[in-house]
Amino acid sequence: MDISLLLQFFINGCMLGMMYALVAVGFTLFFGVLDVIVFSHGDSVMVGAFAGLSFYLLCMYLSPGMPVWLVTLFVSFAGMAFVAGFGMLVSRFVIMPLRSAPALNTLLATMMLGTVMREAVRLFFPDGSNPKPFPRLLPDWSWKFGGALLRFDNIALFIAGGLLIVGVALLINHTRLGMAIRAVAQDAEAAQIMGVDFPFIVLLTFAIGSAVAAFAGLMNGLYYNEINFNLGLLLGVIGFSSAVIGGLGNIYGAILGGFVFAFLQVFGTVAMPFSSAYKDVFAFGVVIVLMAIFPTGILSERQSQRV
Amino acid sequence: MRQALTLNHISAAYGKADVLSDVSLTMEPGRITCLLGANGAGKSTLIKVLLGLLKPRAGEIFFEGENIAGLQPHEIIGRGIACIPEGRRIFPKMTVEENLYMGAYQEPSTERIRKKMAEVYALFPRLQERRAQLAGTMSGGEQAMVSIGRGLMPSPRLLIIDEPSLGLSPVLVSDNFRIIRRIGEAGTSVFLVEQNVRQTLAISSYGYVLSQGRIVARGNARDLRDDEAVREAYFG
Repeated sequence: MDISLLLQFFINGCMLGMMYALVAVGFTLFFGVLDVIVFSHGDSVMVGAFAGLSFYLLCMYLSPGMPVWLVTLFVSFAGMAFVAGFGMLVSRFVIMPLRSAPALNTLLATMMLGTVMREAVRLFFPDGSNPKPFPRLLPDWSWKFGGALLRFDNIALFIAGGLLIVGVALLINHTRLGMAIRAVAQDAEAAQIMGVDFPFIVLLTFAIGSAVAAFAGLMNGLYYNEINFNLGLLLGVIGFSSAVIGGLGNIYGAILGGFVFAFLQVFGTVAMPFSSAYKDVFAFGVVIVLMAIFPTGILSERQSQRV
Repeated sequence: MRQALTLNHISAAYGKADVLSDVSLTMEPGRITCLLGANGAGKSTLIKVLLGLLKPRAGEIFFEGENIAGLQPHEIIGRGIACIPEGRRIFPKMTVEENLYMGAYQEPSTERIRKKMAEVYALFPRLQERRAQLAGTMSGGEQAMVSIGRGLMPSPRLLIIDEPSLGLSPVLVSDNFRIIRRIGEAGTSVFLVEQNVRQTLAISSYGYVLSQGRIVARGNARDLRDDEAVREAYFG
């Protein structure tokens, strides 16, 4: 096979991996802190993309002359803030009230919430059932390496996503609030006995996880230049699988899992004798095998590690 | 002198099961007050109520003259109460030092945290040697040190100690009681909740006996030692 084509696939794998890792981080944070799987998390990614698009349109309407870099920053931060706020509402009014109920109820409630979010965007966003073009906000500089095209926007998105994940990891491992998040993940009651404001930490965790998901949504829009109301469905399942194969509750596991999944897809496209349409079948198949080999995830310890 | 802690007619329940009924007690400041009771007497529930982890169904809790019943746990801790919980409950995936930091979670002054940590390390030199070790990988006795040190970190005015002897060897139990006695002598009010009657009464000044959710005996530690009700609470 052509080396430049391989490079192209590698770049694609990196981009997908970063996107999956961003989604998986949220799954793993929520599981760590509250022992719940929040199935609407994938749809938060989609809401992030649509919020970004809406803020872009708002920007264009209010001040069409705004410089592009400023629009990009505004769209990113506003989109992330919007979904962070939405995530806090979800945790306060859906997750927390179900805390004393069996975990299965939370699972079901968040699955239904995801459907509500998808359908709400489809119904209430103008012409929401059709794919929407997402603006190209990043410069279209590119460099040719042999036959492979290295695009500036890809690099920028990859670096931004990486910085975001590093930022979350630093926050959790090296700040007082991060220590409180870890304490709640390890023993919520003991953390409260130490004086940790538990409801606040839950809100904070949902704000962080949802903002990171929103960034994945923006990244998705900027990478494919098209978004649609059900993009969160597959991303959610992939993000969840990534978190599980990495070791649910472990941030580094979520990142590893995201990239493992992305490169399985790429491998399924490039190296398998069947059509690339089966890349997901191949990737999920390998995930099942991986789960059989590492029942608690690749990076988890004997008992499942939290955050 | 103002009481450190007063419980007035506290009742509590899990669902429909009454666990505490009409519990009243007072604690003198700067003393070790103990609560004795067998398994299932309601001791842990009482502590949950004190810390705000369980809302009492009725009654008042006064800490230094203010009613704290119904406050959130972090607000109650903020008033100057700390707890060394039953079963140690250290954070296993945190280092010893991080565990101690968690103890002083609400303390804003890094200067005071550092000073207090030095005190804890002076009390348990073993912890200083192992301060970078994950607490979950330590022995039971060392974890008990982490838990006690963590409880001392916020310099509480009232320290609740729940079953410090649980699951420890007799030697370690004696060590722990020696340390608790020293905490009390340093002027901290201590509420010691225990099953171990003899050693607990030896270091306490006043005691209460809880049986099936009610206070069945109270008195000076010396008098309680020979009290019939104490024996009944355990064996009757």
